Amino acid sequence: MTALRPSRAAGLGPMLIVALIAAALYWPLMLAANVGPAGRTLASGAELECRTALACASQLRNPVVPAPAQLAQGFMRLSTPVTSPLALPYNVGVTAGETLLGLLLATVTGIGLALLLVASRAFERATLPWLVASQTVPVVAIAPMLAVLLGQYGVQGFLPKAIIAAYIAFFPIAVGMSRGLRSADPLHLDLMRTYHASSAQTYRLLRFPASLPHLFTALKVAVTSALVGSIVAEISTISFSGLGKMLAENSRASDTVALWVIMGYGAVLGVTLVALVNALERWVTPWSRR
Amino acid sequence: MTPARTAAARPGAALLTAAALLVGVGGLLLVALTLPVPGDGTPPNARLWLAGILALLAVGAVGVRGAAQGESRAARTLPAAFTLLLAVLGTEALLRAYAVPAGLIPTPGRVLSALWTARTVLLQDTYTTFVLEALLGFVAGTVLGLGLALLVVRFRFLERGLLPYAALFSSIPIVALAPVIVKAVGLDWPSKTVVVAVTVLFPVVVGAVRGLQSASRLHLDLMHTYAATPAQTFRDVRVPGALPFVFGALKVASTLALISAIVAEFFGTNGHGLGFRIQIEVGRFGLDIVWAAIVLASVAGIAFFALVSAAETRLLPRAGRS
Repeated sequence: MTALRPSRAAGLGPMLIVALIAAALYWPLMLAANVGPAGRTLASGAELECRTALACASQLRNPVVPAPAQLAQGFMRLSTPVTSPLALPYNVGVTAGETLLGLLLATVTGIGLALLLVASRAFERATLPWLVASQTVPVVAIAPMLAVLLGQYGVQGFLPKAIIAAYIAFFPIAVGMSRGLRSADPLHLDLMRTYHASSAQTYRLLRFPASLPHLFTALKVAVTSALVGSIVAEISTISFSGLGKMLAENSRASDTVALWVIMGYGAVLGVTLVALVNALERWVTPWSRR
Repeated sequence: MTPARTAAARPGAALLTAAALLVGVGGLLLVALTLPVPGDGTPPNARLWLAGILALLAVGAVGVRGAAQGESRAARTLPAAFTLLLAVLGTEALLRAYAVPAGLIPTPGRVLSALWTARTVLLQDTYTTFVLEALLGFVAGTVLGLGLALLVVRFRFLERGLLPYAALFSSIPIVALAPVIVKAVGLDWPSKTVVVAVTVLFPVVVGAVRGLQSASRLHLDLMHTYAATPAQTFRDVRVPGALPFVFGALKVASTLALISAIVAEFFGTNGHGLGFRIQIEVGRFGLDIVWAAIVLASVAGIAFFALVSAAETRLLPRAGRS
């Protein structure tokens, strides 16, 4: 632990410098991106408080790249009041809830499928090629239609988004978990046999613990795809809250500043969810900590 | 386990398997053809048909189970093929038996005919989404990612300062990124190409850096004793060691590329692309076209993945394959 600490402190320095460089580059980049549209707006004779294209570049109503002041303003506008259903914190919460429920559904389905895959070779040969192929299929494409379908059968509100999130997330879990269940050391398996352990005991004492690292690797992939799934589901169904609804609304209204702020919130949510899975992993498998 | 496998080797069991498959597939085909297309004629007695269809599916499943025994080439490939066939035929028969309207779930037959009748539009969409957006973005992202990885490996400062951000960025949902880029670059296809390039970039950087640093101390020491130049060490030790990691990342990126191209199209296009087609036809309840577009997207996705895998088998020595 003590050996870790200095390298960690040394690691933060370069990260900070890179962040500062990026921040310093942002302003000229923003100006360069906005000067063209600003010039066009001026030429069209719009009533603006600024004279030159360069001065207007940081004050456009729909900037290509928003100025820091505009971002701060947009952040305040979209974040307050915190509990309002029109503000972002509430909508982020809704999306997070859908994603986590979806991940739960996906984990249950994925683990069930993995057990079947490991138990029956015929089942594996009949379905595994399609499971692998389905990972290469753009599953998001199915989301809009699945939403219509579930709506027809009366599944509405929170649940269809969670189901779509689960639908996208359960393949990596099934594949990762079945790989994990098979990853038990053959020596240990032989040992269990010599102890005359039952199949259930082998699973409980050996195969499940051995599969946990694989499961968590898969969960980290799955949680990001579940987030994408629930946002896409919100965009393509009738929804009244959530990040996807905000994205669709502001994309239609061409409110660029709001889109940037929502992107920021989405990024924070994604990073937080992965961190959550990491924390869970450290808690469940303390022995794999390096 | 063992008795079942030896039984499959006997000609009697093989005959039984073939018979079960024949009855399952043929029966379902017959059922699907006898039942009227939803909307045509009187809706059939669903419960009666359901029992028949389930029985035929069960017979087919027994056949698939029989075909999966043994280690022959047929035992590895046939079960999957027959599963697909049974699933498609079973869906067709069930949808017809319950007279599900085509505006809700189109039958596979209807999807196939939509695939044929709308082929020019759909192929053009596939060209836009797959070639112009996914493939071009994939190449751009990969080249950029590999370049960045080389810089990161060369300069220790960048490794500490840039790499954590790359890992962080890869957990950002693409859907949140896409509208911003589409609004900034424009509605035409280049904006989607940029989205794809950005999503491909991060896994490639992370994979390539991990690969380039995976060279074992022993090999590097050996090169040192040979008095090899840094360039030689790089070419002969570091690059071959990195390839498995890079291809692992590229496989992930190939699936990400198509997904992000389709998602990005949800936020504005000039009227081309599979994502646009899906979005617009869902709104018009033209679900046969939607499924046809999904079939094309899947075929493109599988082909893309297969392409990367084929490149991997060509370029990698046997031992390094994942």
